[in-house]
Amino acid sequence: MSDLFFLMGKYEARIPTDRVYSDNHLWLQADGELNRYRVGFTAYSVRLLQDVYFLEWSIDAQSAVRKKQEIGEIESSKAVSTLYAPADGTILDFNERLLDDPSAINTDGYGRGFLFRIQTDANFLTPDEYVAHLAAGWEKTEKLIKGQYN
Amino acid sequence: MIFVVISQAQGKNPAKQQLEAELVAALSSEADVKVSLVPHLYDLSADHSATQFLRSIPGDVVVLSWLYPRAARWILDRQNVRGHEGISLLESNSDDERDDESSARNNGNGKQGPGDAKKNSNGNGHGEVPDARPMPNRKIYCLDLREHTEAKVYLDEIRRIANEASMPLVDLFGFLKTQPQPERLEKYLRPLELLAEQKSATSLDDDDDLPANGEVVRRRWYPVIDYSRCTNCMECIDFCLFGVYGLDPLGSILVEQQDSCKKGCPACSRVCPANAIVFPGHKTPAIAGADGEVGDVKIDLSKLFGAPSAVELAARERDVELVRDGRDTVGLTIGIPKRLKDKPKKPRDELDDLIDSLNALEL
Repeated sequence: MSDLFFLMGKYEARIPTDRVYSDNHLWLQADGELNRYRVGFTAYSVRLLQDVYFLEWSIDAQSAVRKKQEIGEIESSKAVSTLYAPADGTILDFNERLLDDPSAINTDGYGRGFLFRIQTDANFLTPDEYVAHLAAGWEKTEKLIKGQYN
Repeated sequence: MIFVVISQAQGKNPAKQQLEAELVAALSSEADVKVSLVPHLYDLSADHSATQFLRSIPGDVVVLSWLYPRAARWILDRQNVRGHEGISLLESNSDDERDDESSARNNGNGKQGPGDAKKNSNGNGHGEVPDARPMPNRKIYCLDLREHTEAKVYLDEIRRIANEASMPLVDLFGFLKTQPQPERLEKYLRPLELLAEQKSATSLDDDDDLPANGEVVRRRWYPVIDYSRCTNCMECIDFCLFGVYGLDPLGSILVEQQDSCKKGCPACSRVCPANAIVFPGHKTPAIAGADGEVGDVKIDLSKLFGAPSAVELAARERDVELVRDGRDTVGLTIGIPKRLKDKPKKPRDELDDLIDSLNALEL
């Protein structure tokens, strides 16, 4: 099945259909074993962040996490953000290569730019559901960004 | 002639104490400056002699404290130390971009910036909230001692303000004679002696909460309302379940039972739609009374990536305090603002600008 796209202004955010999504704008792709996923930023996230400069994790690998628990920080040319766990589960390990040079998040966000691996039995959004989620939240996102620009 | 008040830092940070001592020493020898030293403004009770001293100061006054100027200003207002906002050139030096940003913000939602008193309909610095108290015709300049480490920066600014003020000489000692206990208040005008006293007291006793005269200054925690922003919407009084807020006879919101406030809890500040509730000791600059964005002009995308909303956070913080009091949690069931859904839309052209600026930056 071909990729989906979500239109952000004039920019088309690509949403691949070979994986699932969390409501906090991460993709999750099955990683060998049952309930084990690679996790990364969606094109939507990356578009809002722009160039990522700095990434830091505030928890260790093999940590149990709750959904919305703080797990790290990110800084980009345009934004800063705390990062939060996408679901209840265990964060198995982090993509260590990003700590030195996070640019793969921008150049290959759906591949080498993955963030971490997680073990979880939570349910996630299908690509279609994620696009619908983006459409529903887009106006709010614009306000969020604008509210801070003004 | 201008009065300068230095409000001492909490605790015993040697760097802070040194800056205070340098300022006291330098200002003591200035001809047209009258310098005084008081405990940390936020911790002063209404009947503390330092509070009475502050109320007794006539004319323009420069207040240097380890607080955001907005926090200092409204703490003083609460203690009936009132005046029009004096404009310091100090902070705009350290952050040029902030000016544009805060003026843009100020237009948005009735927030008031520097020079606000003129813009207020009732001319007393209280935007939309009825206030029967008269506003004395003088200026209060609040400077943040955390902005710079060198005394010289502050001294230059104080001299600039002193020139600007060009107040006729006032006999403060004569003024103090009209107070009930002048000697209790006069000591604040002898800051060199006060510092020496504190130093000798420190060497004997490590507890700086007990000054020689027995007047105790304890750490406090309570909300301070910025009435230039407050719209009297009553969301704080609905949200707080500890009875901190009340109404005065005119129906204006006020902090009535400040000691009922729960130490460390800033929840009501988070639910305030006008960002008018200041907790000067909170670690988040926006809650502690900073103006606009602080230091960083980057967008915070935390909400997008799953951060709990301010209201969720406020409700959690409130629940923690309810449990500590042996009460049941209420979560999001009581006193939650209904306004959040219907924020007014911003003009479309700004929105287009945003999208264009996103597009202009090639990935």
